[in-house]
Amino acid sequence: MDIFLQQLVNGLTIGSMFALIALGYTMVYGVMKLINFAHGDLVAGSAFVGLFVFSELLGGEVSLPVVIGVFLLTIVVIALLGFTVERLAYRPLRTAPRLSAVVSALGASMVIQNGIMLLWGPQMHIFPELIPSMIWDIGGVVISLMQVLIMALSMILMIGLYLFVEKTKIGTAIRASAIDQDAARLMGINVNNIIVTIFLIGSALGAVGGLFIGLYYRGITFNMGWQYGLYAFVAAIMGGIGNIPGAMLGGVLLGLFNAFIAGYISSTWADAFTFILLIVILIVRPTGILGERVAEKV
Amino acid sequence: MVMIVLPALLDSRWLAVATTFVIFTIVALSQDIVLGKSGMFNMGQALFFGLGAYTTAVCNSVFGWPLLATLPLAILIPALFGIILAGPIIHLRGDYLLVVTIGFNIVFVQALQNNLFGVTGGPNGIFGLEMLNVPGLTAFQEFTPYYAALAVLVLTLFVIHNLESSKIGRALHYLREDDLAAGSIGINTRIYKIFAFSLGAGIAGMAGTVYANQYSAVSPEAFDFLQSVLFFSIVIVGGSSVPGILLGVFIMFVLPEIFREFATWRYFIFGFAMIFTMILRPRGIWPAKFGRIPKAFIDSRR
Repeated sequence: MDIFLQQLVNGLTIGSMFALIALGYTMVYGVMKLINFAHGDLVAGSAFVGLFVFSELLGGEVSLPVVIGVFLLTIVVIALLGFTVERLAYRPLRTAPRLSAVVSALGASMVIQNGIMLLWGPQMHIFPELIPSMIWDIGGVVISLMQVLIMALSMILMIGLYLFVEKTKIGTAIRASAIDQDAARLMGINVNNIIVTIFLIGSALGAVGGLFIGLYYRGITFNMGWQYGLYAFVAAIMGGIGNIPGAMLGGVLLGLFNAFIAGYISSTWADAFTFILLIVILIVRPTGILGERVAEKV
Repeated sequence: MVMIVLPALLDSRWLAVATTFVIFTIVALSQDIVLGKSGMFNMGQALFFGLGAYTTAVCNSVFGWPLLATLPLAILIPALFGIILAGPIIHLRGDYLLVVTIGFNIVFVQALQNNLFGVTGGPNGIFGLEMLNVPGLTAFQEFTPYYAALAVLVLTLFVIHNLESSKIGRALHYLREDDLAAGSIGINTRIYKIFAFSLGAGIAGMAGTVYANQYSAVSPEAFDFLQSVLFFSIVIVGGSSVPGILLGVFIMFVLPEIFREFATWRYFIFGFAMIFTMILRPRGIWPAKFGRIPKAFIDSRR
């Protein structure tokens, strides 16, 4: 029972991070039907930018205003980066065949990943310990302040996003563009602006996820983007791509699944099992867990 | 042709590059069958490449088979896997198929690294494989991997040429253009798709044997999904035609080798190059031209 509860906590923490990253993928895919391969690298980038902001710009001393500053500045930088990627790599290819956009996305991913390497070197860096390491032992289950914060903040952000998408006018515009871009245009929605918006929001959330990854795992390398990116994308698909609550659910489920496999079976098989799970889900429920049963052939 | 005389002109490092160039061309051609000709988003071709290579490696090191004898098995096993794996997923739409093929690839590599069934040699792979010996030709010993690769390439080109002008080739072309329409004129799209997948897998497996031959060793990293991404990009960037693929392999593989001195900057620039190539030539640098369909019909629809 101990292992179960412990892995539950671990899984929820990792899952929250995956969920944040998955949201970026799912929003972009929902509207543009494009897998933004560069998203994972933006997430990796955010960890490095956070490191930079902390040590170079804000003096390197841990305190609440500094931590908030790190988060806010990193979010702004990464959001802008996401905007740039959209402008340079995706917008010119709006009318091109899908595959070209995919390769362009791969190219963008390479640029960002190697950009990080050029700026910070190929070695692993240590992310600063911005959150004091307090742990509690509740009946054999170890839970740290960091985990609590990650889960709490992620939940707040996700609820916030959900309300934004469901209740506001822009949110409705996003949902409309995801259903049918041309019809949305006919309704007077400026789809270009919507696309910019989702890139900004998605990148911002990814930035938070990246900072959490830095805080949680401490060691960051320039090529960690692909690993988390792929997992997050799998999470988005599992939950139903294009579906925002789905991405959240998928992220959490994936985190839990991963933690349980690592805990009960072995961590060297964790990746393999995760993908087997994805394949099974796609065969059994191709639109994902919360996906809509669309007439479109999947 | 130039390619036949090449070994005499190159030193050993560039000869290795050239040999791998030929091998990658074979895999890229096999990827093209699935992606370019049949329109299936396959980003896991390295899986079949690796299957062929590992089949050869295992048969050679564990069972002691001579290299040539492993060839049929190295084609059959990947082809079989192609059928088994493609079956349940072939109806998925593009992007889902993409991720599933990546998934298969990752599962494969992890299985290799975890030393499945105790024969795959774990993360270090298997080495010390016997190389192809042509009796009596010991003078050119270093060249045999290259010529072996070249021979397989010629065979592959022959197969592809036949495919293009055959009923199967036409069927694949139609189902790529419009899956639903092809189905409505009586083409069993499912069977053809599985066939294409399997054929591509078999050819990639064949390339795997040659690859194992070149390095006398196999290891999991050579077949991870990033390699698949490479093959995928080769087909899209180069375009779905034979010159396009050759160009694609050259750009995506040889050029980075040439620029090794600029090691840290190469992939950075490379990424930009990929983006710009797609913006300027979305259908690839040298796209395919189809039979005798008048050019006007193709261009006006794009």
